Amino acid sequence: MAHDGPHIVPKSILLKVFGALIVLTGLTVGVAYVPLGPLTVPVALGIAGLKATLVVLFFMHLKYDNPVNALTFTIGTIFVVVFVTITLLDTAFRGDLGNVTAQTVQEIQAEQERAQQRQDAIPSDSLRIAPSDYPNQDRGASMESDEGS
Amino acid sequence: MATETAPAPTEREEAEHDHHPEHLQHHFVSSKQQFDSAKLGMWVFLITEVLLFSGMFVAYAVFRQWNPDVFAAASGTLDQAMGAANTVVLLTSSLTVALAIHAIKQDRVQRCIYYLLGTLGLAGGFMVVKYFEYMAKFEHGVFPGAAFDPHGAHYEHLAEMTAAPQFFSIYFVMTGIHGVHVIIGMIVIGVLALMAWRGSFSSEWYTPVELTGLYWHLVDIVWIFLFPLLYLI
Amino acid sequence: MSTTTQDAPVEQAGPDEEETNYLNHETSIWSWLTTKDHKRIGVLYCISLAVVFLVAGVLALLMRAELSGSGQTLMGNDTYNQVFTMHGILMVFLFLVPSIPAILGNFVLPLQIGAKDVAFPRLNLASWYVYLAGAAFTITALLTGGVDTGWTFYTPYSASTGGGVLWMTSAIFVAGFANIFTGLNFIVTIHKMRAPGMTWNRLPLFVWGMYATSIVQVLATPVIGITMVLLILEQTLQIGIFDPALGGDPVLFQHFFWFYSHPAVYIMILPAFGILSELIATFSRSRIFGYRAIALSSVAIAMLGFLVWGHHMFVSGQSAISSIVFSLITYLIGIPSGIKVFNWVATLYKGSIWLQTPMLYALGFLFMFTIGGFTGIMVGVLSVDVHLHDTYYVVGHFHYVMMGGSVVALLGGMHYWWPKITGRMYNETLGKIAAGLVFVGFNLTFFPQLVLGARGMPRRYANYAERFAGLHQLSTVGSQILGLGLFLILGYALWSLAYGEKAPANPWGATTLEWTNTTAVPIHHNFERIPLVTRGPYDFHLADEVFGGGDGEALSDDVPQIPDPAPSAPSETDPTESAGV
Ligand code: HEM
Ligand SMILES: [Cu+2]
Repeated sequence: MAHDGPHIVPKSILLKVFGALIVLTGLTVGVAYVPLGPLTVPVALGIAGLKATLVVLFFMHLKYDNPVNALTFTIGTIFVVVFVTITLLDTAFRGDLGNVTAQTVQEIQAEQERAQQRQDAIPSDSLRIAPSDYPNQDRGASMESDEGS
Repeated sequence: MATETAPAPTEREEAEHDHHPEHLQHHFVSSKQQFDSAKLGMWVFLITEVLLFSGMFVAYAVFRQWNPDVFAAASGTLDQAMGAANTVVLLTSSLTVALAIHAIKQDRVQRCIYYLLGTLGLAGGFMVVKYFEYMAKFEHGVFPGAAFDPHGAHYEHLAEMTAAPQFFSIYFVMTGIHGVHVIIGMIVIGVLALMAWRGSFSSEWYTPVELTGLYWHLVDIVWIFLFPLLYLI
Repeated sequence: MSTTTQDAPVEQAGPDEEETNYLNHETSIWSWLTTKDHKRIGVLYCISLAVVFLVAGVLALLMRAELSGSGQTLMGNDTYNQVFTMHGILMVFLFLVPSIPAILGNFVLPLQIGAKDVAFPRLNLASWYVYLAGAAFTITALLTGGVDTGWTFYTPYSASTGGGVLWMTSAIFVAGFANIFTGLNFIVTIHKMRAPGMTWNRLPLFVWGMYATSIVQVLATPVIGITMVLLILEQTLQIGIFDPALGGDPVLFQHFFWFYSHPAVYIMILPAFGILSELIATFSRSRIFGYRAIALSSVAIAMLGFLVWGHHMFVSGQSAISSIVFSLITYLIGIPSGIKVFNWVATLYKGSIWLQTPMLYALGFLFMFTIGGFTGIMVGVLSVDVHLHDTYYVVGHFHYVMMGGSVVALLGGMHYWWPKITGRMYNETLGKIAAGLVFVGFNLTFFPQLVLGARGMPRRYANYAERFAGLHQLSTVGSQILGLGLFLILGYALWSLAYGEKAPANPWGATTLEWTNTTAVPIHHNFERIPLVTRGPYDFHLADEVFGGGDGEALSDDVPQIPDPAPSAPSETDPTESAGV
C-alpha cells in the first residue's frame, strides 16, 4: 500500500459516510425525546457505536488496512468494555452483604447523631438486656461503649 | 489491495532502493516498512488514548447508575442545540481531514492545504462554541468541584441534588480533556498546513498527514460518545 | 537449515583495541545524551535505574533497621511512613516497572530479531528524558514535604493530605509516558522490524515476553495516567469523585488504581519470564521444552491479568458477587504461570546443566517465584485473604514475586548479557558468591515475613508486639545479607568495567542472533549484514559445533570462533514480506 500506489477511498464513499453520520446525529437527538425507559442508554450507545464504527472503517481506513491495525483497535475497545462492566459488577451490587451502604460520610454521621439523640432520650437506668432493647439496634456497631449500665 | 495503476511491487521496490527516498530512515529497509510501522505505531497510540478516556467513562457509568434521575436532570441543563451543532462541526472536520488525505494521495497539494485549513477553522469553531457553553455555566455558579454553587432560574434546582456536583465534575473533566486534545490537534494541523505549503508532502510521502488524520478522527469518535451521554440522556 | 557459513565471518572477536563498536565510535557526553542508538539508550536507562535501585534499597535497609526492635529504634512513626512510601513508589514506578524492558529490552530486543534499531529511535530517547522528568518531579515531591500515603495512594487520605502528594502523583503521570513509549516502540518493532526469515515461531522467548509486556504497558498505563489526573483534580478542585466526604466513592479509586496496578505486576514479571527462558535454555544446552506453550502463556497472562484486579479489594467493601468472581478468575492466573514453571523444569530435565552465575539466578528464580505464586493463590482465596489482607503475608508474597522473581531474573539477565553490553567478563567466583548471598539473604528476609503475617503482624507499622520480635530480627539480619550481596555485585561490576577480562563474541555458546551474529561488542548498526534466519532460536547442536559448547570451552582461546552460523541476507529484502504480518 503505502505510496507504491496508495489505496484511495473514493470521494463518493467519504461523502456518503458523512451523510450517514449526520443522519444518525439527527436520529440520536430525535430519539432522546422519545421516552424509552430502560432502553434509553443502550439506544444512545448503540447509535454512537454505529457512528464510531463508520468513522473507524471508512474515514480511518481500517476496512482497507492491514488487519493488525484492526486487531490493535479491537483489543483496545475490548478492554474498555472489560473495565466498565467489571467495575459496574461491583457498584451495581454494592452492599449485597449488607456491610456497606451507598451513603456519604456526612449522611452516616447525621444518622449516628440522630441515633445518639434517641438514645439520650431514654432514661439511663431503664433495663436493657436484649439487642432489641436498644433503640438504634439496626446500627448497633455505631453505639458508644460508655452507654448503658 | 494495491490499485490497478500501481506497477508490480518488485520492480517498484527495486527502483526505490536505487534512488533511496530522502525520507527513508537508515534503520528501515523500505518506505513501505517505514510507513506501515508509523501507522501501526499510531494505532497503538490511539488505543492508549481510548483507555485514557475510558477511566472517565467508568466514572460516568458508576455515578449515573447510582443517580440516574440526578444525571438526567443535570444533563437537561446543558445546551443541546450547542452540543448538536458542535457534533456536526466535528463530523464535518473529520470529513475535511479525510478529504485532505484523499487530495494529497493524488498529489493535489493545493487542495490538501485548503482542506487542512478548513479543518483548522472547524476545530476553532468547536472551541468557540465550547467557550460560550462553559461561560454560560460559570455565570450561574456551575463549576467543577468545591466551587459548585448553582444559582439562576435554570440551575437552582441542582443545588439540592446530591450527585449534581459529580455530574458537572465529570462533564468538565471529560469535555476539558477532550478540548485539550482538540487544541493539540489544531496545533498539529496548523503545522501540517504550513509544511504542505512549503511542499513537504506528496503522494510519495504524506505520513504525518495520514497519522494526524487518524488522531483527529479519534478525537471525533470520543465526542460522538460524549454528546449523547452528556447532553441527551 | 544451514550448518556452515558461506560468507566470511564477521570481525574476529579478540583483544583488538582498534575495533570500533557502539561504545567507542563516538565518545563525547553529548553523543550519549543525544543518542538514538537503542543500545546506548539501554545503557543510559541502566545507569539511571541503578541509582534509583540504590536509593530505594537503602530506604529498605533503613526500614528493616527500624524494625530490628520493637519501639522506636531509628526513626519516628511519621518518618517511617514516609520511608516505606518512598521505598514502594521508587521500587515500583521508577525501578521495577521500567527496569527489564528499558535496560535489557532496549539493548537486546532489536539484536535478537535482527533489526538495526527499534522502529522509533527518537521516541525511544524521548522515553528516557520523560523518565528523567518523572524522577525530577519525584525529587520535588520529596523537597516539598514528602509523601506518606503508601505507594497505593488510597483516597480519601491521599486527596486530603498535603505535602508532596501533588508532585508525586504528577511524577507518576509523567513517568507513565516513558513506559508507554517503550511499549509502543517494542510492539511496532516486533511486528515490523524482524529480519528476513524471523517468523513469529522463531522469535526468542525473551522477545515474546517483551511483546506480552508491551501489550500490558500500552493498555494499562493510560489508566494510571487518568487516575492520577483525577486524583490531582480531587486535591486541587475537590471534584468529589473519590472523596467520600464530597459524595465520591473511595472504592472507585481502588478500582482505577488496581486496573492499572494489577496488570503492572505482570509488566514486572513477564519480562522476567522472558529472561528466564533464555537462561534456562542456554545453560542447560537444550532446546526449550514447550516453546509455544511458553510463548502463548505469556500472552494469556497479559490478557487474563486485566480481569483480576479486584482481588486487592476483597475487604474494601466491594460487592460480594464481584469478590467471588475476582477470586475465581485469580485462580485461573495460576494456570499459565504453572505452565511456564513446568516447561522450564522439563527443559532442565536431561539437559547438560552448566552452573554459571546467570544459571544460579535462574534456578533461584524457579524456587522463589514458585513460592511467590503459591502464596499469591493463597491470598487470592477470598476467605483466607480476609485474614491475610494487609499483613506481612502480603508483603512476603509480593516480595517473593517482585524481588525473588523479577529482580533476581534481572540480575541473572544482567550477568548473562554483561559481556555483550560492556565487552568485559565479570568475575565468576565473586558472581557465584554474590548469587549465594542474594539467595540466602532474600529468603531469610522474606520467609519470616510470611510467618509473621500468618500470625497477624499488620503491614506498614513502625512498631510491633513483643512476641513478633524474633522473626522481625531474623528478617532484619536477612536484609543485611541481601544488601551485602547486592553491594558486592555493584562492586565487581564496576571493577569489571575497568579491569574485567575482554569478552569473546559468544562466551555462553548461546544461539540467539545477539550472540551469533555480532562482534563481541556490537557495532553501531548492530550487524555487518542483516542476518537471514533459517532456524528456530534454540538450536544448540549447531551452537555446540560452532562455539564449542557450553562447558566453558567457548571461553578458551583454542576453539575456532566462527561467529556467523546464520548467514546474512543475500540482499536487502523487506522483512515484512518474508516474515508475514
Ligand atoms: C500466581 C500469580 C499471583 C496471584 C494469584 C496473586 C495474587 C495476589 C493477591 C490476591 C493479592 C492481594 C492480597 C491482599 O492485599 O490481601 C496480591 C497482592 C500483591 N501481589 Fe500478587 N499475585 C500473583 C502474582 C504476583 C506477581 C507476579 C507480582 C509482581 C511481580 C505480584 C505483586 C503483588 C503485589 C505488589 C501485591 C500487593 C499490593 C499491595 O497491597 O501493596 N503478584 N497478589
Ligand atoms: Cu494483583
